[in-house]
Amino acid sequence: MAATLPPSPPLLTLRRAAKSFGGVRALRGVDFELQAGEVHALLGENGAGKSTLIKLITGAHRPDAGEITVANRTLTGLTPALAQQLGIACIYQQPALFPDLTVEENIGLRLESSSPWQRIDWRARRARATELLRRVGAAIAPDTEVRTLSMPEQQLVEITCAVGAGARVVVMDEPTASLTHLEQQQLFAVVRELRTGGVGVIYISHRLEEIFALADRVTVLRDGASVGTHAVGDMTETTLIKLMVGREVAQLYPPSECAAGEIVLRVHNVGCAASGVRGVSFEVRAGEIFGLAGLVGAGRTELARILFGQTPADTGQIQLNGKSIAVRSPGEAIALGLAYVPEDRRRHGVILEMPIEENMTMAIHARIFPAAWLRFGRERRLALDFIRDLAVKCAGPNAPGGSLSGGNQQKVSLARWLATKPKLLILDEPTQGVDVGAKSEIHKIIRGLAQEGLAVIMISSDLPEILGMSDRIGVMRSGTLTTVLPGGSDASVVMAAALGQPQ
Amino acid sequence: MPLNSHPRDWKSAFLRYETLLFVVLVAEWLLFYHYGTSTNRRGLVVGFGTLDRQFDILRHSCEIGLLALALTPVILTAGIDLSVGSLLGLCAILFGKLWHDAGLSIPLAAGLTLVCGALAGGLNAGLITQLRLPPLIVTLGTYSLFRGLAEAITHGSVTYTDFPASFLFLGQERWSGLPTQAWVFLVVGLGMWLLVHRTTFGRSFRAIGFSPEGARYAGLPVERRVALVYVLTGVIAALAALIYTARLGQAKADAGTGYELFAITAVVFGGTSIFGGRGSITGTLLGVAAIAVLKSGLATLPVVIRMNAAEEMSGLLTGALLLLALTGSVLPKLFSTLRTKR
Repeated sequence: MAATLPPSPPLLTLRRAAKSFGGVRALRGVDFELQAGEVHALLGENGAGKSTLIKLITGAHRPDAGEITVANRTLTGLTPALAQQLGIACIYQQPALFPDLTVEENIGLRLESSSPWQRIDWRARRARATELLRRVGAAIAPDTEVRTLSMPEQQLVEITCAVGAGARVVVMDEPTASLTHLEQQQLFAVVRELRTGGVGVIYISHRLEEIFALADRVTVLRDGASVGTHAVGDMTETTLIKLMVGREVAQLYPPSECAAGEIVLRVHNVGCAASGVRGVSFEVRAGEIFGLAGLVGAGRTELARILFGQTPADTGQIQLNGKSIAVRSPGEAIALGLAYVPEDRRRHGVILEMPIEENMTMAIHARIFPAAWLRFGRERRLALDFIRDLAVKCAGPNAPGGSLSGGNQQKVSLARWLATKPKLLILDEPTQGVDVGAKSEIHKIIRGLAQEGLAVIMISSDLPEILGMSDRIGVMRSGTLTTVLPGGSDASVVMAAALGQPQ
Repeated sequence: MPLNSHPRDWKSAFLRYETLLFVVLVAEWLLFYHYGTSTNRRGLVVGFGTLDRQFDILRHSCEIGLLALALTPVILTAGIDLSVGSLLGLCAILFGKLWHDAGLSIPLAAGLTLVCGALAGGLNAGLITQLRLPPLIVTLGTYSLFRGLAEAITHGSVTYTDFPASFLFLGQERWSGLPTQAWVFLVVGLGMWLLVHRTTFGRSFRAIGFSPEGARYAGLPVERRVALVYVLTGVIAALAALIYTARLGQAKADAGTGYELFAITAVVFGGTSIFGGRGSITGTLLGVAAIAVLKSGLATLPVVIRMNAAEEMSGLLTGALLLLALTGSVLPKLFSTLRTKR
């Protein structure tokens, strides 16, 4: 595509946009620019700051610093209403339509202003819907109920709404994640149509081949900062992957010192139709940290939930210490010696309203409270031990879980599972949203546990963490484990495997 | 706000809702004692300040008190059971029929009635945990179903009476100084307190009330625990039915009409959060007592007697107090969300 763009003023400009959540800096001064009539791809690993950037553009978040220029108006931040008014529309992976209403009703709800007496002009509504659908080239009858439409058809309806609203800037967040090849081609045709009409499209995708097929320019984000905007024609897949991961893996990770022992967990051809996981085989040894890498949605959490009995496997075998096991519930998993520290600690890892000590003993009721009788002294001693060992910063063991910072909540969640004295510990994003200090503390704890002979599976979307911590790295893609790489592999090799690119 | 009671947290005891409620109860009692007690022409003390009146309050609060005790764990799990009043009616009829028509002995009939209560609670439990239907709707259904069954069995007209004096002793006599049923109430109350505050069961109820998903991730058997509270409620409703029948000496299909609402009021007034998680048995007991004293005490006030408005006044004041308590209980939550938003 043309590397030289018309020198017209850009549709949208972000200058030095920054945003932090708690102590975590999601964006640290990003510059971004969108021209009229271009498809601008946004690329980066999980957590590089793509969604935060999009949320600044759609007004869902306000930047802490920096400015946004839209249609020659320079603002310090947008609101969703203002963004809409300025012609910014966003099409998400999961269309946000009302499934029980028809296409024309959905379009009408987005575009019509209320008339006197809230009267609906059905004829005008139908006429407008028909016209707009024709403009985006969608062969959908306006009186179809949205629930009967396929996912790409629903995305077309979303695009129709955007066109109808006169959008000048259209953001597409992984629009093709659930599309077949043919549907993808149809969507591309619509996007090209938009471009011809002078609309600026921000296109987010993990599929590099799409970026080469569709985009004019590409901006790569890494660790919340832009590492450059390039004309797509100047790039190759290899250079793009290098840009995405191209940093030195931090040396801060505690070294692995211990040789792996016996095989603790052996998973053979495991799958679960309900959660979209299929044909997964791997093994984890005592004293080993087995990292699970992959893109968001690759099936890593789903695999953990299978092992922990929340969505039991319907195919394959799982062996623990050489014995075949069937895990049908978390209770059974705990009894077998499996532990799972979930990804969403605020919803699943810790009960925020309950005291730290009660959270810590929640998975070991049967063991420390014989005959179901609470033993407060014993509970408190156990809690105090964990608070000391894991250095939990808290007002006391009876402080509610919700009063702690993210990292300390994570330690409480970890303590709950260490208290079960597990044989296998599954960690799901153990340091997500945790500040740097607590992060390295948690890393030390995990490495220490492995050295004591625990088998650890660590799911993480943080590539440096996977590379720095893992003894071996399993890479998942589209619901299955595609590759197992040795620890210390190159970042671009892991990333290429996660993206499904041959190296 | 009532807190999760922990034996070490005495410091916060004075700030606890239960303490406040206890003060309200004492003040209320003193008020009625002062204004509601008088001496009649023959020089006898009448009105609120008599022992008979106090026993009367105790007798009348036992059935609703039992239902409130049963509902506390239900509400702790963020559930609700609207069917308890109807189940009380159904169990009263079943008991009468088993004894009178089937000719069973009183203990056997009573035992079978408790089993029926458990089965009825099991129906609620099954619909809620297995079909994952919302408790409000399930028990609204069984609320009508149980009452309808009671009426169908009696054709709306049969009343079972002439129970033996040995049975009526449970509802009308005293044992060791207190009305007999008060002892049953106290034993169940103690049992419930132990269950909720001293066992892992109570701990799980609270965890489920705060976050059912969180409890499931911690490996707690959420469905089994939830089922337990509804079955237990059924058994206790059946027990309340026996006491009701013994107190009135008759079993009718309309027994316990509206009791579910009084019981829920007492639980919520006692500081148990309707959103689940927070609450205590002590609070429920105080809530039951405060409402019972209010109801009975109002009827002894001269001004209320003159206006002949005891029923209206007690309804009005109970409602107002409940709304006040509810508003008070969400205020801290409201403040804390405001603070985090800022």
